[in-house]
Amino acid sequence: MAFREKTAWIMSVALLLGGVFYFGVVISGSQELGASMPPLIPVVAVYGGILAIIAIIGHVAAALTSLKTANDPMDERERAITARARSLADSVMGIGILISCGLYLLSYDGNQLFHLVFGTLMVSQFLHYAAQIVLFRAQSAVAD
Amino acid sequence: MGGKKTSITNHIKRIRLARTEFTQAGLAERVGATRQTIIAIEAQKYAPSLELAFRIAHVLGEPVEEVFQFDSSLWD
Repeated sequence: MAFREKTAWIMSVALLLGGVFYFGVVISGSQELGASMPPLIPVVAVYGGILAIIAIIGHVAAALTSLKTANDPMDERERAITARARSLADSVMGIGILISCGLYLLSYDGNQLFHLVFGTLMVSQFLHYAAQIVLFRAQSAVAD
Repeated sequence: MGGKKTSITNHIKRIRLARTEFTQAGLAERVGATRQTIIAIEAQKYAPSLELAFRIAHVLGEPVEEVFQFDSSLWD
């Protein structure tokens, strides 16, 4: 597996686990309150911490298992794959922001708006890496 | 893994093994690409840019038309 694909897997897992933690807290907190839970700095900080720890440990492990290629710049195929994945993620982010703003106009719930926009950022970033994995896998073949 | 084949066919693997001592990694290093990109090109999973195609042909010591061909039956 190429170094770029490894990093895409690491970031996908980090974003998934971070998202599960964040929305686990927000959904349970909102159920207790009976309304959208306000955004809390400690929850966002722990989310950032989860992402940072998994990303750092994962990238160190990926670099150690790809010592020869970890520092290589992206080649044309990797740049094309990254650009396609970025394009998909940007589209999803645009749609998510639009939906979030639309729901705000219906509910005037600022807490909900924050969580939806934050969730949109998480989903679009996750799709950015997930799409890279799919595209890398689609072009993979057996080495000789 | 599966994946659609490109309409650019090539003889990189045959030329590489018959006329050179390049491994996929060695060829990749010489042309400024990753080993995975050479693997994908050889398997027709990725069509290289014109510049990369010329670089590969140059490193293999063959004219580009000997290394790469266009298969119109795969053109959609």
